[in-house]
Amino acid sequence: MPVKNQFKPISRENLKWRVVGIVVLAVFSLLVVFPSYGNKGIDWVNKKANLGLPNLPASGFNLGLDLQGGAHLIYQANTEIIPDSDKADAVEGVRDVIERRVRGGLGVSEPLVQTTKVNNDYRVIVELPGVTDVNQAIKMIGETPILEFKEEDNEPLRPLTAAEKKEMDDFNAQAQKKAKEALAAIKDGMSFADAAAKYSEEEKTKDNGGVIGLIDNLVFPDIYKWAGAHKDGDVSAELVKSFDGLNIVQRISSQPGIPPAPASTTIYSIARIFIQTKQPVDIVPPSEQWKSSGLSGTQLKRAEVSQDSQTSQVQVALQFNDEGTQLFADLTTRSVGKPIAIFLDGTAISIPVVNEPILNGSAVISGSFSLQDARLLAQRLNSGALPVPVELIGQQKVGATLGADSMQKSLKAGVYGLIAILLYMILYYRLPGIMAALALCIYTLLTLALFKTINVTLTLSGMAGFILSIGMAVDANVLIFERLKEELRDGRGLKSAVEEAFIRAWPSIRDSNITTLISCVFMVWMGTGFVRGFAVTLAIGVLVSMFSAIVLTRTMLRAALLLKKKDEANVLFLGYKKKVEAVVAK
Amino acid sequence: MMNIPFIKYSKLLLTVSAVITVVCLVFLAVWGLKPGIDFTGGSLLELSFTNRPETVEIQNVFDGLGLKNTSIQKVGDYGIIVRTNFLTEEEHQRVLSGMQTKFRASDNQVHEESFQTIGASISSQLKSKAAYAIIFVLLGIIVYVAYAFRKVSRPVASWKYGVLAIVALFHDVLLVMGVFAVLGRYYGVEVDTAFVVAILTVLGYSVNDTIVVYDRIRENLQRHGGDNFVDVVNMGLNQTLMRSINTTFKTLLPLIALFFIGGASIHYFVLALLIGIASGAYSSIFIASPLLVVVYNWQERHRA
Repeated sequence: MPVKNQFKPISRENLKWRVVGIVVLAVFSLLVVFPSYGNKGIDWVNKKANLGLPNLPASGFNLGLDLQGGAHLIYQANTEIIPDSDKADAVEGVRDVIERRVRGGLGVSEPLVQTTKVNNDYRVIVELPGVTDVNQAIKMIGETPILEFKEEDNEPLRPLTAAEKKEMDDFNAQAQKKAKEALAAIKDGMSFADAAAKYSEEEKTKDNGGVIGLIDNLVFPDIYKWAGAHKDGDVSAELVKSFDGLNIVQRISSQPGIPPAPASTTIYSIARIFIQTKQPVDIVPPSEQWKSSGLSGTQLKRAEVSQDSQTSQVQVALQFNDEGTQLFADLTTRSVGKPIAIFLDGTAISIPVVNEPILNGSAVISGSFSLQDARLLAQRLNSGALPVPVELIGQQKVGATLGADSMQKSLKAGVYGLIAILLYMILYYRLPGIMAALALCIYTLLTLALFKTINVTLTLSGMAGFILSIGMAVDANVLIFERLKEELRDGRGLKSAVEEAFIRAWPSIRDSNITTLISCVFMVWMGTGFVRGFAVTLAIGVLVSMFSAIVLTRTMLRAALLLKKKDEANVLFLGYKKKVEAVVAK
Repeated sequence: MMNIPFIKYSKLLLTVSAVITVVCLVFLAVWGLKPGIDFTGGSLLELSFTNRPETVEIQNVFDGLGLKNTSIQKVGDYGIIVRTNFLTEEEHQRVLSGMQTKFRASDNQVHEESFQTIGASISSQLKSKAAYAIIFVLLGIIVYVAYAFRKVSRPVASWKYGVLAIVALFHDVLLVMGVFAVLGRYYGVEVDTAFVVAILTVLGYSVNDTIVVYDRIRENLQRHGGDNFVDVVNMGLNQTLMRSINTTFKTLLPLIALFFIGGASIHYFVLALLIGIASGAYSSIFIASPLLVVVYNWQERHRA
């Protein structure tokens, strides 16, 4: 390492600006660290001068869980069932779900939920500041709700017995007969409305002429097909079958489609006389009302609250993944006009009716939701979409009182340590010691301000790292001042001795800090909370300390020397006495 | 100017240091370090009582729940720390409610101060990461020291400076480990990730002193030439002596404050740092430099 052995003179003007710079830096750091004092000052100025200055942001330090109390949970995601290529995504999905649950369900405002991959294990780390009821948190996170999409079960529980079959056939024959009668009555001149009132079995419509309103091709495809082949005013000459029975249909009017039917299609206003028929399921009910469609939360990508662009009604929008899109397309194609049910943990939470086949994998659940209900539903749907089960493999919980106690103790230790160092420096190194002490105070403020601005999370170990760095920060000054002592003893003039000391001490300062930084790098790599907290604050401390020793102390010492007229050391400098002795010895 | 003839006593100094190192090695070999739950997996539960019951009574609650391998340690006037196997959340809750039913009374509140549980997969991962971190830091330091001394090759080759600095480091680390082997044996002090952090910090910091002393010796060699190597080394030692003492002492000051008032949870972490950093100053003066002379003398003999 070549040591540049030259004395760089610095102009008075330049030095003045550097001193100003240091003062500004110190004041700025002070305000960042203690904004409340700054704000008091600003308030005072505003009161006196009415300048309307804005207050400083009064944010506190970002405290770790061990200082403010809280819970740290480590989950292992069971990704065995998932193909390798999807694992990372699935775990990210878990992360999102957990974050939503702790934000929404627990009301933790600033949870930290991260994923890490250790060898081949995927983990989710959950940090819940301020949460002490960990049990509830764990319950909320750990539960794996099951989201299922079900369709109506139209399969009878068992084949009909002969007697039941006969019963059904008899019933349907009766219905057929009755329908034929109605058809004949209309042919004989009975008005459609009268026939409806007399024969229709649809209670809702029989007394208003059988009018069921506008239909498209979804709910009554057979009736729609018939209407397409006839004119307004026509009445069907034959019986038209629908999924629920027999119909005599009248097309009242036609018009272009209105949503949800596309405008390019025609829709019809229809009246019908309805005669019920029976299916096997009407006689032997299905085992359950709903049967699984194969579509579940594992195929849901996300659910979110949206608004119908036309009615501005609140609805919940669903988006499926590729597999889910296909399943959902099949399901909706075969369930047109029928309800499907969305089950969460075995309970139907919503039973929308399918209006048309949905092929793009997105769906909305509409209904008379309030915004809050819709949010809740979306949230619950998202919870249902937990793609992989998780297992709690580690936890750490610190009570708030213990955290506050640790905080106070380490603060106290830090303050005592700082004071001890300041006294030692001043007593041992005299004037340069005062400069170093001042620089150390600025160092402390500057480092704390840096922690705040770059949002370093202060943990107990981080406090220890910072406190250790205060001790290390003086090392550079000690190196410099020991050099200064020697240079003075060698009989150098004061100013050149000061410059020389700084230059000669630099390689040692650099070398010794680099090894500490090497350690810090690998500690950060180790990665657990305690280790990282310590290493980050220590590393920042070491970096700032180099700046503090070289820039702050040097500038302050230079400035102090300007006040001295003679370029000779005096009792304020260590090494002075020896020089006198040396002169005497000569 | 003060001139202590360190090198004159180098045989004595090195013998003492070697004995200390060997004793530490023996402690480590015989007793070993007591691994904490970070490395073995398990749970650590800290409870406080307004009126602390007898340890036996608390032990009974755990036995009643069928939890084995439980050890209970008193902390302060009101607290206990329980070490046990990995607890699932249900077991943890059962322990807590067991404590409440047994001990809660009008004059006794039971409060959970902290709880930590670590599963086997985490602990094995921590173990391997800790081992790798130590190896990487050592390698990093060796490479850096060799690099920093690359221009000094006479009369002792630069890589030898690096090796000797590492020898001094081994002494520091072994001393810390030896002390913790004793503490583990007699006071049940466990070694956790915090301990590894302390070791890594000592590795990074203690080598500083050695580097500074060697730096100075190197500078003296450039100034005065290598004619009388022993004198040059001794001069370097004396020149940097006050610096070594001052920097180390000032780094120890805040650590001493932390040790006494920083709270129980980082007590032994700080102790490991204190021992390691103090030892770092000792080893750079009493081991690294005398060894340099030993190496020099050995070279001279073999050249002759």
